[in-house]
Order: sequence, then C-alpha cells, then structure tokens
Amino acid sequence: MIPGGITWYRVPGTGFLTKVSANTCAEFGGEMGEKNVMVISSAEQLMEGNTRRNFLKLVGLSGAVIFLPNVLTSCNSSNNGDITGPPGTGTPVVIDFAKGDTAILQFAYALEQLEADFYTKVVANFSGAGFSSGEQTLLTDVKFHEVIHREALKAILGSANDFTVHTTYGALNFKDRTAVLGAAKTFEDLGVAAYNGAAQYITSTANLLVAGKIVSVEARHAAAIRDLITPKAGGASGANPDSFAPKSFDDVFSPGKVVGMAQGFVVEKLTPKNAPTTFVEGPNGNGQ
Amino acid sequence: MTTQIKTLFDTIDPEILETVETRGEEIANGRSTNSKVIAALALGSIPVAFAALAKDAYGQTPTDVIDVLQFALTLEYLESEFYNRGVGSVGLIPASDLPIFQTIQKHENDHVTALKAFITQRGATPGAKPNFDFTAKGNVPGFNFSVGQYATFQVLSQAFEDTGVRAYKGQAGRLINDKPALNAALSIHAVEARHASEIRRLRGKKGWISGDSRDDLPLFTQPVYEGENNASQAGMDITALGNGNGGPTAVTEAFDEPLTKDQVIKIVTPFFA
Repeated sequence: MIPGGITWYRVPGTGFLTKVSANTCAEFGGEMGEKNVMVISSAEQLMEGNTRRNFLKLVGLSGAVIFLPNVLTSCNSSNNGDITGPPGTGTPVVIDFAKGDTAILQFAYALEQLEADFYTKVVANFSGAGFSSGEQTLLTDVKFHEVIHREALKAILGSANDFTVHTTYGALNFKDRTAVLGAAKTFEDLGVAAYNGAAQYITSTANLLVAGKIVSVEARHAAAIRDLITPKAGGASGANPDSFAPKSFDDVFSPGKVVGMAQGFVVEKLTPKNAPTTFVEGPNGNGQ
Repeated sequence: MTTQIKTLFDTIDPEILETVETRGEEIANGRSTNSKVIAALALGSIPVAFAALAKDAYGQTPTDVIDVLQFALTLEYLESEFYNRGVGSVGLIPASDLPIFQTIQKHENDHVTALKAFITQRGATPGAKPNFDFTAKGNVPGFNFSVGQYATFQVLSQAFEDTGVRAYKGQAGRLINDKPALNAALSIHAVEARHASEIRRLRGKKGWISGDSRDDLPLFTQPVYEGENNASQAGMDITALGNGNGGPTAVTEAFDEPLTKDQVIKIVTPFFA
C-alpha cells in the first residue's frame, strides 16, 4: 500500500512512484479528464468496481495514479502537517464575510491554527536550537496560549469550524534560534494588527470582547519575543523598530492585507469572499 | 463649501451615510434629538450641520463615546505623569533600563495627545489633567520618584500597565459604532499590553498574568488582578483546553480579562490628589 498521508504519482512509462506537491479533495474528487491519470481520494474509492478495474489497468499500462493525501484518513484532517506544498496551492479556505461575525472568528481561527502549529514545531525542535532554559519556558507558554486560542475559537465556532489550514515555512530552520525568533516576531506583530483591523467588522460586543481578550495576549507575546531578540531596546523617540513596543499605536491591518502576509505560510489558498469594501484606517494609516 | 462637503462625504462609509440619510429624513421631519444639528441648520452652515449630523446618526454618539474617551484620557494622564516624573528623575532608573521607560513615556504622552484630538474632533472639550498622589494615599509610603526607589517605581509601572490593558478592553464595546475611536482604542490597548509584558519581564515575572495573581505586588493592588482567573469564554468553560497545554493556569494566561469602568475608578482613585 501507498504510505499514508502523502501524495504519490506514478511516473508515466516507468514503474516508479514519485512524491508530488499535494492537491486536494475538492480539486480532484475522482477520475481526471486525462486518459492515463486517475486520482484516488479515498480508500473506499478503491473498493468500487470501476475504480479498481481502471486502477489495475493503469498500473499494468503506463498510466499514472495520484493518491490524494487523505486516502487513508479523510478530508479536512485535523492533523496539521498532512498536507504540504507551496503556499496557496491547496484547497481554497473560503472566509465568507457575508457570514458576519462568524467570518471574523473563522479568520482568527485560521491565524491561530498557523501560530499554534508554528510554536508546536518550535518547541519540538528545542534540542540543539540554542534556546536558554528561560527562553524555552517562555516559548512553551506561548505555544500553550496559541493552542488554547485555536481550540477556544474552534469551540466557539461550532459547526463553522470545519476547515484546517496546513502550514509551510519555506527554508525556515527551526534549529536556528535567530531565524525562529524572527519568524515569531512576524507572527505576533501580524496577529495583533489582524485582530485590531478585523474588530471594526464585528457586530456583537460579546465577540468583540473575545477578540479583545486574545489580542492583548498576542501583544504581550510580541513584546516578549522582541525583547528576546533585542533586550531592553527603545529610546526617547518611542519609535525604535527593534523595541518591544516599536510604535505609540499598534498597527490596524485590513483582513485583505493580513491574508496577503499570512498566505506565504499557508498551503491552502486563503480566499476572502464578499470581503468588506470599506476599511477604516487606524492611527498609523498603514492598514491596506 | 462644496469641496468641504464632498470631502466629508468621501471620508464616511456608505453604510454610515445610509444611516445619516435615514436620520436626515427624521431630522427634516423635526425629530432630531441633537440640538447641535438644529442650531447649525438654523445658522445655515451645512458643513457644521453635517458634522453634527454625523455624530447624531451614530445614535449612541456622542455622549457614550465621549465618556469613554475622557475616561481613557484620565488614565493616560496618570500614566504620562508617572513616566514623565520617573524618567525626569535623574538616577532613579538605571541607564541600562532607561530606553524602556523612555519608550513608554513617549507612548503615553502620544496617547494623551491623540485622545485629546479625538475628543475635540467630536465636539467636546478634553478634561484637564488632574493632580496626582503617587503614594496612593499612603499605600506606597514615601514614594516621590527619589533615587533609590526604582523597585517601587517598577511595581507601580506594572500595576498601571496591567490596569490600562484591562481598562481599554472593558470599554471597547462602547466604541463599536465609532470605528476611528475603536481603532484608536484598540491600537493603544495593544501597546499597553506590550508595555505590561516588558515591565513584568523586567521584574523577573512572566509577561502574562497567571490566574489572578498579583505576583509580589502589594496587597492594595489586588483589584488590578481581580477576575483574571476567569476560564469562561463566550459562555463556555474552557478549563479543559488546558489539558496537555499548560493546565488551568495557561488557560487564564491565554485570555486577558476586562475591568469595568467602576472597577478601574476604584483602582486609580487613590492616585488622585
């Protein structure tokens, strides 16, 4: 059997299987139009008569069989790491802003999935990465917080939580303290700006409060990470870019801007739908 | 005058304009509750009337929003005065830590300036800076920013910053219909959280609040942390999410909790002379 959780492609004209970048259940739900290519998206499919016949025929000839990542599990697997590939190549994750506050919470849920996955990998790679024990404690705390944010939003969303974003970090070396902290700084600052900028679309004060309770913890993280990179940085200008607090007012980024910045770390195509056409800028005027 | 009106319209969301139009009809029918709109119309000044109308259209503006902004301004006055005096007291803060407090000082002064502008833009007069008593009526005996009182200065800094985060959070809902004010409040809220994290870590504590612990702060600061041990979010008890993720402590750390205006007033009142 084909190893689970990975997409394999039988190179035409050879007997070899090769790994290909993942595509998705939605895009390849069954047999493709091309003559000698067949896509298997579920184990059940292999049990179907036609599929099995075509499968055997293709294996015998010089065709290609693509096993989708979830053949042995199911679509929408909750296990981050199943699906790999370049940013934006996976199933579209559609955030439909016509859904109102639900869309904002889904947007937050997507970002928290990214952050939680990032710190889970950071913690898993402590060995040999050069973090002091104090730094390891701090980063482990942050991991806990982000996982709790993710799970809390998942619970709050209920049936609207039915999507998973899978991460991709390019050449980021999780054994490189400097690189890891640099990425962490990016994620935390972006998280703060994302919550700040999404807040204007929230209609219920209860949901606004949930966002407010999370965003200040992200800001606490951001300051701590920044201080690990450049301790005690600041000055009378209040605008030292290396400081724990580099500006008098935190950024307020539109969802569109945040999606553009986050997409580089997400396999699925983040797809805002019915996105708001108006955006009220924050004090820094750099939200779009 | 035409240009002025056009600019006003261009800067307002269509959604809000719709509300303005609806309310405009009501006003045309004599149902405006905003005396400033009526007064401005009587004077024949369309831009002025429109500016007043924009506030009227929000419904809850201006009194609720103005109240939040004035309240925030009072807190920022307290913080800015505290850091102005601390940074100004040569030798109180060690040179190695000075950039931290210079940063915070500048930010708090910028917050004061911005809030005053927001209040003025909304047709109100910013409140005057109160006089302060940083001994908090004797709770911090003898504190006067003298050299040698750095540890106490840090204690007060932590208390003020953690209070600031919770205070803004508690008021955000009242700004939900005034987006520029909401944005400003949230962008200040996050900066206060950054300050809080830094001062807490400078003091050897975690950057986040565990349970409702005031750490080593004096007893009179306990109201700053009251209710921070809440584990109910959006009506759900999420304590179990801590299983394998740092336990109940991490659950409380992951969410900062709001303070009501009354709670904040009780905390800061001793600091007013």
